[in-house]
Amino acid sequence: MSTSQRVGVEATNGAALAAFLAGGIGAFALALIVILNEVGIFSAPTLYGPAGGVTGRTALGTVAWLVAWAVLHKRWKDRQVDPARVFAVTLGLIAAAVVLLFPPVWQLL
Amino acid sequence: METLFSGRSIWTMVHGVVLGGGALMALAAALFCLWVMRTANGATVGAELASRRLAWLTVFAAVALWLTVILGTYIIFGPYRATPPEGATDLTQFPRALLRSTPDTAWLHSIAMEMKEHIPWVTAMLTTAVAFVAMRSRSKLLSDASLNRMAMTLLGISFILASVAALLGVFINKVAPLE
Repeated sequence: MSTSQRVGVEATNGAALAAFLAGGIGAFALALIVILNEVGIFSAPTLYGPAGGVTGRTALGTVAWLVAWAVLHKRWKDRQVDPARVFAVTLGLIAAAVVLLFPPVWQLL
Repeated sequence: METLFSGRSIWTMVHGVVLGGGALMALAAALFCLWVMRTANGATVGAELASRRLAWLTVFAAVALWLTVILGTYIIFGPYRATPPEGATDLTQFPRALLRSTPDTAWLHSIAMEMKEHIPWVTAMLTTAVAFVAMRSRSKLLSDASLNRMAMTLLGISFILASVAALLGVFINKVAPLE
């Protein structure tokens, strides 16, 4: 992020904002995996047969969330980051995820 | 002697009432604390002890949400979606088939359960993010206005989404209980 700068670890907000943004990325990644499954482009492998494909989709979404969090944390943990921009992007990702995870939307695709 | 509750029914109650209900209460309490305990921007005096308790409250909410979604997905969803044998007329042991058997209740699977399959995982992720910040940044979460606002927003979203999922779960369990 262009507005970020290196400052002392104790005074920075980077780690916190990395966690928040990763939450939004994880939510959107899960929604994307679900949508791709619904339109037949990508089907996550089933991890537990009786529960079906939801096990693979949610596991993959969780992995995407953790990877995004790890990458962002490594890059931002000792930086001061613009909270307004991160807040807006995070909310946008969550809003998009909630819309995409609403089943009637799948019928429109 | 017939047992009052089946094992499947008990798992459903643990999922929805104990863990899901506990998570909702913890989310509501954490939201309230974030609101009333915030200090003037930059002031951290007196916030240390209170922020530690708030941090553990958010950790409790996150753990309860993860246990709720994992239990719901791996223990409860399997029996829910079990396929009835060919020609079966009594579908009470097959909740998904029972819901889909009439147009009036089909939406409880096609919309309600489909939402419950995925949305609660989002709440677990968002609440975990807030719990991480609450544990790591402690009093800063109460004294930094932007962090406080973001944490409250994410917990608020989690609370609303988890409440909707819980309500849909009540509807489903009312029509096609897992017994």
